[in-house]
Amino acid sequence: MTLNRDAFVAVFFLLLCAVMFVASMDLPPPMFGQLSSALWPRLILVPLALLSAALLYQSQRAPQKTERKTVGQWLEFNRNPFICFALFFLFLVTMPIAGMLLGGLAYVFLTLNVLGGWKPRQLALHAMISAVSVVSMWAVFTQLLGVLLPEGEILRVY
Amino acid sequence: MGLFENLAGAAPELFTIKTMLLMMVGTMAGLIAGAIPGFTIAMAVVLVLPFTFSMTPVEGLATMIAVYVGGLSGGLMSGILTGIPGTPSSVATTFDGYPMARSGKPGLALGIGVWASFFGGVIASVVLMIVAPQLAMIGLEFQPVDYFSLILFALTVTASMAGDQILKGLMAALLGLLMATIGSDVVFGQPRFTFGVDSVAQGFAFLPVLVGLFAFSRLLGDVRTKEKAHQRLGGEEAHAVHIDYLGSAREVLSRWGNIMRSSLIGVFVGVLPAAGSTISNILAYDQAKKTSKEGDKFGTGAIDGIIAPESANNATAGGALIVMMALGLPGDIMTAIMLGALLIHDVIPSPSFISDEPQIAYSIFLAFFVANFMMLFLQSFTLRGFVLITKVKMYMLAAVILFYCSVGIFALNNITYDMWTLFIFGIIGFALRGLGFPIVPMVLGVVLGGIAESRLSQVFARSDDIMVFISRPWSLFFLLLGCFSLIFPYYQKNIGKKAWTRFFVPALMIVQAVPVFMMPGIIRPSLAIAMAATGGLMVLYRLRNGDDPLKAEPTQSSD
Repeated sequence: MTLNRDAFVAVFFLLLCAVMFVASMDLPPPMFGQLSSALWPRLILVPLALLSAALLYQSQRAPQKTERKTVGQWLEFNRNPFICFALFFLFLVTMPIAGMLLGGLAYVFLTLNVLGGWKPRQLALHAMISAVSVVSMWAVFTQLLGVLLPEGEILRVY
Repeated sequence: MGLFENLAGAAPELFTIKTMLLMMVGTMAGLIAGAIPGFTIAMAVVLVLPFTFSMTPVEGLATMIAVYVGGLSGGLMSGILTGIPGTPSSVATTFDGYPMARSGKPGLALGIGVWASFFGGVIASVVLMIVAPQLAMIGLEFQPVDYFSLILFALTVTASMAGDQILKGLMAALLGLLMATIGSDVVFGQPRFTFGVDSVAQGFAFLPVLVGLFAFSRLLGDVRTKEKAHQRLGGEEAHAVHIDYLGSAREVLSRWGNIMRSSLIGVFVGVLPAAGSTISNILAYDQAKKTSKEGDKFGTGAIDGIIAPESANNATAGGALIVMMALGLPGDIMTAIMLGALLIHDVIPSPSFISDEPQIAYSIFLAFFVANFMMLFLQSFTLRGFVLITKVKMYMLAAVILFYCSVGIFALNNITYDMWTLFIFGIIGFALRGLGFPIVPMVLGVVLGGIAESRLSQVFARSDDIMVFISRPWSLFFLLLGCFSLIFPYYQKNIGKKAWTRFFVPALMIVQAVPVFMMPGIIRPSLAIAMAATGGLMVLYRLRNGDDPLKAEPTQSSD
């Protein structure tokens, strides 16, 4: 078996189908005249499994010629997206403490610096951009639209 | 009530100072968004969506339509001035717009683009007002089984747009449907696939899913490397210009045949599920080139080459709105977002929507019409300044937009769970795009999954007989179309190379004649007979001569 990107994807989808199919067996049986909760997901899972098998077959028959990368190269190639995801994750995790305003300021400022650079001039520009964009949007939602954005524990605004 | 009575009833709802101001702001926002390469119109509408929560349905929808129309027109600016299309719907505009701008006539090129967009939008809004109510009347014939088949057709067409990657397109559509099953059973509300996590029982709201899949994958793809992140996507060549409005208006009006043809192509493509302005602008350009007496000038700055794509892409918006308004089904991302906006305001589009809610329905028609005039008005004032916005660096846009998305998504239901949904689907979207999966089929799968399941349950509540899928004419019609759409990418790839491709179109006509013949009345069965006869004649001709009678003539004459 040739291990390539599509083969991994196909195997992942086959495993997903298997897990979901097993999980569908735990769903309660239908009452008289009702459509079972498990029927619709199974109607999706069967063709999805068949297509995954077809993708696996295709990946073995005519493997796509993709540029091979080492793990280091792959991580380097996706460095910026991974950091952005990590920062967004931190933004969400710290939301109950920092709130939308402080958390948002920190998130936008850090993302701008990570993507744009850490030189003193850039830091000043990024600080200005994050302050204007986050505070203005926060003010529009909380003051104009009346949406109570999470305030966090550090700064009690409402 | 007639068309004019309904329009008169809707006008006071729409023509208020507040709504007009909101539409102005929306059109401006759309123009700015469209002018920024890499910033899709869908993203602009998504960003505007949370602001509409506190508005009335008419105000909210009118604002979103204004953004949509503005965005479609805004794309022409960067396309003509820099050669980089602001949106995928302006790709073909660059073919002739950029060469004309480079040859020293950027003002004329922009003026032609603006006027063509305007006329395309106006023609589409007239068609929308006339056709949507008629289509809704046909929609009233639809039973749950027909809807279910229509949804399957929409998903197969979307998947087939992936071309060579149709397998992955279908898998993405099915994955979207599967994601929609997580949470609770749409019919009885029983928890399903929660895996012990209580909060998952509420399922995934489709707007966080949609924004997550699109915004993250698109924006993070654009800042992947340091060089890309620092790019000013408008390029250094973007500069302010003087627009020649009168000269361009004269040029556009003298080519009214091209405007009409391209606009109708745009409307037709818009009506088809999943086939949006990305396709219509190319199709219209191709048709304009084939029919023009100056076909050889295309690609070097031909006026018809700017008119065709710009009028088609604006007209497509009207086509997409026709289906959403008449049948209650979103055909593309834009109408999916609008459907979400309608649902937030407790307005549920369906075939009876236009007759049940004429004020809202006709306000939407009018808003689309008015937005085109606003676009023209605003372009005439601000076009020169917009170009400067394309100077913003991509990483700045990415950081700020992702924050705006998260605020907007939180405001949807005031729960952080939606922000986690946004994050998780952001990762899924980024990974899927990286693995070569198209995103659109998955989004439509998530949006249509719940509707499909409830329709299926209605089918089985009425009868256990699965033959109903092929005994109902509309259901059979959509299922057969779905089958042909699955073969379509192979047909496109092998056209002119393999013998079977010569029989694809006649076979489609003959096969589709069967369900059309089964439909009630006289007109549709008569149409079915004509379709079958034409298909049969085409088969006979191709078997005998090995060529198409329609294509054979020009070839002989040119020889």
